[in-house]
Amino acid sequence: MTLLLWILVLGPLVAVLTQILIPGFFFGNRQFGQVTLLFDVFRRPLWQHALQNSLVLSISTAVMGTLIGASLAIFRSRWHFPTARWLDVSVWLLFVTPSFIIAQGWVLFAAKNGVAAQLLGADFVTSFIFHPIGLTFIMVLSKFPLAYLAVHAALEWQVESLSHAARLTGASPVRTWFTVHIPLLKPAIGSGMALVFMDAIGDFGITATVSAVYRFPTLPYTIYSAIYTSPIRFDMAGVLSFYLIIIIMLAIVFQFYMMKGSRYDSLTAGAVRTRQKKIASKGWIATTCNVLFLFLAIGIPIGCTVFTSFVHEPSKGLAMDNWTVAHYVDLFTSNSLFVVSLLRSIKIALIAALAGLLLGAMIAYVLIFTQFRFKHLLESMSLISLAVPGVVLGIGYIFVWNQKWLESYGLLLYGKPSILILAAIAGTIPIITRIISGTMATVPRTMLDVAQLQGVALSGRIFSILLPLCKSALVTAALSAFGASMFDLAVNSILFPPSQPTLPVMINKAFENLKFGYAAAATMLGGSIVTTLIITARWLLNLNMRRKYR
Amino acid sequence: MRTYLSICLTIVLIVLQSGCISKSKLAEDNVRSEDKEVLTVYLNDFDDIIGPMFEEATGYRIELVQGSGAELMSRIEAERGNPHWDVVWADLISSIHGLGLNGMFYEGFVPEHAAKLKETYKLLVPEGNWYYPTGAHAAAVITYNNDVLTTEEAPASWTDFSNPAFKSSVGIADPAIAAPAYAFVSSFFQQYDIEGGKAIISDWFDNGLLIYPKNPNLAMALLSGQIKVAALQESNAYNLVNQNKPVSIIWPAEGAPAAVRVAAISKETKQLEAAKAFVNFLLDPAIQQAIIDASEESYHEPSVVGVQPKSDRELNAKLLFPDIMQSYQHEAEIKQWFADFSIK
Repeated sequence: MTLLLWILVLGPLVAVLTQILIPGFFFGNRQFGQVTLLFDVFRRPLWQHALQNSLVLSISTAVMGTLIGASLAIFRSRWHFPTARWLDVSVWLLFVTPSFIIAQGWVLFAAKNGVAAQLLGADFVTSFIFHPIGLTFIMVLSKFPLAYLAVHAALEWQVESLSHAARLTGASPVRTWFTVHIPLLKPAIGSGMALVFMDAIGDFGITATVSAVYRFPTLPYTIYSAIYTSPIRFDMAGVLSFYLIIIIMLAIVFQFYMMKGSRYDSLTAGAVRTRQKKIASKGWIATTCNVLFLFLAIGIPIGCTVFTSFVHEPSKGLAMDNWTVAHYVDLFTSNSLFVVSLLRSIKIALIAALAGLLLGAMIAYVLIFTQFRFKHLLESMSLISLAVPGVVLGIGYIFVWNQKWLESYGLLLYGKPSILILAAIAGTIPIITRIISGTMATVPRTMLDVAQLQGVALSGRIFSILLPLCKSALVTAALSAFGASMFDLAVNSILFPPSQPTLPVMINKAFENLKFGYAAAATMLGGSIVTTLIITARWLLNLNMRRKYR
Repeated sequence: MRTYLSICLTIVLIVLQSGCISKSKLAEDNVRSEDKEVLTVYLNDFDDIIGPMFEEATGYRIELVQGSGAELMSRIEAERGNPHWDVVWADLISSIHGLGLNGMFYEGFVPEHAAKLKETYKLLVPEGNWYYPTGAHAAAVITYNNDVLTTEEAPASWTDFSNPAFKSSVGIADPAIAAPAYAFVSSFFQQYDIEGGKAIISDWFDNGLLIYPKNPNLAMALLSGQIKVAALQESNAYNLVNQNKPVSIIWPAEGAPAAVRVAAISKETKQLEAAKAFVNFLLDPAIQQAIIDASEESYHEPSVVGVQPKSDRELNAKLLFPDIMQSYQHEAEIKQWFADFSIK
């Protein structure tokens, strides 16, 4: 397993960093490069701006996203109001929707010839969105679900005696919140903020999409540009990747430091599931705010994508002769790449999800139930790809899997769909491992020990005890991994085999070539098909399990 | 337990099968690369017409890999140790010249139709015969939105881009991303030397020059009113006019920088005969004429005699051909300077 993780994640990462010292290492040239290139990030204006933009964007997204996500999660866990369920569903929808699709929706809305300016006459939207503040706004609306989910999960249980004690000593409800509940939420808020920060600084989809209209170089986009230019600069890509990884590692260390020195194990036998109170009066305010927020976060970007997919010219508005299904019909014409790229992506994501499930389940078992000496190392390795942006992983894969000596072993995978499968597995391992190990940790070890004493073999213990108890997590893990692999734009953009684009690449290229209606139709239909597949698979598996245990 | 065993067995089988798929795919790929009939061509235009035309004319099978100039060069560089291509055909003469200097091309091939090259184009063929020009188009022509500017108000020369009347209303494509944009920008560094070129483009930036990734983005900005004037690649400009968009084209009297499309054969090709046939095919006057007649992208000057450009193309189009060696030698420097300066 450690070897597999090395091949999938650490090897490519080391390969990227090797480029800084020996740029031609993987092309047969073992000469040392210029180490001074490492310091160019403080000299070259483009790099300086990329670093600065990335930091400003990700820090402000982390702060704002956590503020919004945590506030919403706290409010949602305390109060019940009409449309509250919409918030939960929307958060999950935003969580699984790739950032480039959200960004496409915003570009369609806010571009100079977009819906806002042409239909609503709101020209100010263009200058607001295509500005660092506007990009932060889009990023916050795309990433806040990470903070929401982290905080919401931590609020599932509460020890009421703590707040009762505070109230009995005269603290107001507000003070109780700020002195009792919020401090106890520090780990969840901290990890939510770190997740938002890491996801934002490594994000490629938003800046890549918005770059069609507005230049805002960030580290991931500049790394991508360095390998998509002539003369190609792998060494520069290596240097920028190095800084990106350092920043992400610092974020992890910061989070660890925040947690250090305090104890948060406050749950006791007296913990009860948090009960939501119904807002007695003025519930309509909460409902209105919720609907407005959801309209902003989902309604505008997804709504604009849907609208663009059904009209000839978005600027002509709602006129009857403007409506069309031509873009959807175009998806199925003979020279359209939609069907082949969708099928290719489904195949890659399916294989990656199943292979990732096998590997992730094995890792989770070792982490939870064995005394393996290096299990902390294994755990760290399984999490690394979460912290490595797709762009960095993608170029690492080029170096590793495009070496001539691999050809004789049939392992020269660059330029073939197999490389996308490996990269997708690497990307899914942290998701799968986290989901499964979380559930496995709830299975008492004594159950397995008793079975072992009864003479049940390891396979029997796993298949008769562990898997039935973890069935739901296994299904969730596999489907989450499938969904995540389908739309990874960064890895797909870098590694897609020539003439064999995958769905995200095909959509992004159509968007780049200004085929907005076609791109929007491909996004909506592709997204709907994948969602239907996931829901159907989940329903079928649940049905099967219900029948089995009826 | 049996259910779980069967689920796990299924997973193992699928994963193993994926290995088999990969292996069989690998085997298929290997067979394909050794297949004498299939030629892999990396190209950035004409992918919708050239394949069937070549297969019909020669009987060789062809696989086309389409990408932007930057994508193609990136792939070629990444595959340096193990090229997956047989022929590259793109409007990237300086970058392709660099590949030739690095010994990546088959040398010494003289196609039958090379004798029909016009004199201007014969001069572009390097000593080692690494590549042959198949035509040239304007890397940029002055294109303006005629809803907001009259012919009199529109810029007549490239130097007008620094005229305060066009403050923050001129756009060009990014030379780091769009291949023709580098041909456009580097032309000023050739005409006026490095420092002179920097001075001209600095003046444009001081006047609020806007940069867009590729020519289609530039066209969109022009139509949406984000900019009034664009240095737009020739085919993109004529296509807008043909679509009845409110756009007019000006060919500056001093000339438009040329982006030369060339075809070169990989030194490591296993399909040498087919590759030679393809390059010769591209130089055939009948084929060059057929391409011009068949494609909307074909607004260019053909490289061989006896071929007529599109009838609506400017009759007196003056192209400024690059000094290839200088353009190649300064490519990294110019692109880096441009990227760094533009971000300021």
